[in-house]
Amino acid sequence: MSSLINENAVILSNQQVGPRLHLMVLEAPEIAARVAPGQFVHMKVPRMDDHILRRPFSIYAADAAAGTVDILYQVVGYGSDHMTGLEAGLCAELMGPVGTGWHAGENVERALLVAGGVGAAPLFMLAEQLVGRGVKLDVVLGAQTEQALVCRSRYEELLGCCPNCSTDDGTFGRPGFCTSLVEEALAVAENEGRPYDYLAVCGPEPLMRIVARLAQAHGVPAQVSMEKRMACGIGACLSCVVDTVDGKKRACVDGPVFDSQKVVW
Amino acid sequence: MTALSRTPRETSVNLAVNLGGLSMKNPVTVASGTFAAGREYHDFVDVASLGAVTTKGVSLNGWEGNASPRIAETPSGMLNSIGLQNPGVAHLKEHELPWLAEVGATTIVNVSGHSFDEYVRVIEALEEAPVDAYEINISCPNVDAGGMTMGCHVPSVEKVVGMCREATKRPLIVKLTPNVTDITEIARAAEAAGADALSLINTLLGMAIDAKRRKPQLARVVGGFSGPAVKPVALRMVWQCHQAVKVPLLGMGGISTGIDAVEFMLAGATSVAVGTANFANPRATVDVIDGIIDYCEEQGVKDVNELIGALEC
Repeated sequence: MSSLINENAVILSNQQVGPRLHLMVLEAPEIAARVAPGQFVHMKVPRMDDHILRRPFSIYAADAAAGTVDILYQVVGYGSDHMTGLEAGLCAELMGPVGTGWHAGENVERALLVAGGVGAAPLFMLAEQLVGRGVKLDVVLGAQTEQALVCRSRYEELLGCCPNCSTDDGTFGRPGFCTSLVEEALAVAENEGRPYDYLAVCGPEPLMRIVARLAQAHGVPAQVSMEKRMACGIGACLSCVVDTVDGKKRACVDGPVFDSQKVVW
Repeated sequence: MTALSRTPRETSVNLAVNLGGLSMKNPVTVASGTFAAGREYHDFVDVASLGAVTTKGVSLNGWEGNASPRIAETPSGMLNSIGLQNPGVAHLKEHELPWLAEVGATTIVNVSGHSFDEYVRVIEALEEAPVDAYEINISCPNVDAGGMTMGCHVPSVEKVVGMCREATKRPLIVKLTPNVTDITEIARAAEAAGADALSLINTLLGMAIDAKRRKPQLARVVGGFSGPAVKPVALRMVWQCHQAVKVPLLGMGGISTGIDAVEFMLAGATSVAVGTANFANPRATVDVIDGIIDYCEEQGVKDVNELIGALEC
């Protein structure tokens, strides 16, 4: 088990970037220096003392030189709504970096990353890592609307081209869900004689389940990032368990990233 | 960032207490199920510096626990319905107890069972292992057999505590459920059957509802309620039991600061357990010990034992 730290992080900025979507940048040099793609931080949200649990947030980006981490969050309830009102300068306790992140083996040559909604954030550091390793990378991003495709520009900059996008309302890219893009990408790669040898998907559970099955049908090893209600965030309380073929596993430390074929959907 | 100490600060105040034959270097342990067997918290707390580590409830063979979602946050509290998921006593013996012994922790093992016989067999399996005391869990609200079902009625409390008593000479702590009409009746039964100490309270049975979906928030519908919201109930029950029995009490329920712990001691607890607070603050146990020291030094208390039952009313 890697060692965890609890860092008092200063909120540097906290801005709305899309519909119910906000980007928080925090000064957390120790976590920024250590975080691996797919890991998360467990945040004690300030000024919310009657809500006693921490909240887990995936790391969208980490800048070790600047000592900062980016968190993309969606307003889904009281806690995330409260977070939108936190001003720069406030401190938030971050425990991290927590969890077992993405693992694309050394021999991976061609990878497909699939994100639904805010699932694009936890995949971004993996994308950076794979591009850095020279892996041929394709990215599929799905969201409800064009405005909700808030990670698109960072991916575009990284890849040098626009990722394959879909929107539920057809305002950008392919109308409908992103699964048709995934099916096509898998088929095209096969037809080119260079099938994917790694797929990572993050988003709503039904999307991850469908994409995991598509990957399996094409013989592509796939990983998924599971989100569960969490209490301790360090593997002690067994709140966040995921059903796997090896029994119940903790999303916080055994995951959040699991091999898709291990998950009992 | 400055690294925070993993151990409590130095003091001349005597912090050592004796809980029914269990020597504790200070009055603070953890509530079973919130701390695993300590290893996960060792980055934040030197578990050997605690009065004791109380392990997650262990049964004879592994238990899968309940379906998800298993927790829900509520105002100043939370509900859980983990369901005593554990890999069984052999795993505890092989992997966790040797580690606790190696780091020098004082160890209380929380013993669970589906049947009277299972409690005894778990104790028997542990008699050669490095264990300092047993805590008999007849109060978990999240299982269909054993747990709270056994701890709500005098005859079954007498029977299971009596059988465990015969199985060991080690200190026997019996953990009580608050989900009864009169906790002092259960406390007296446990004492009469041979308990060396009582721990209380386990969680209060509660539920939370998602009105929009018209669904319960927990897959099991009901679960155990814990956190600061339950502290007044726990204090009242510790105070009642202190008047009802002679054996020492291990008090818990919503403790997150040293002052919370002192309040439990004033109500009659010899030692205290930190539970839900560990989730938000992985260093909560050490913070509570430091807070007890602060209180004693400020109040001129030279021995923490002076606080036990010192409530003036």
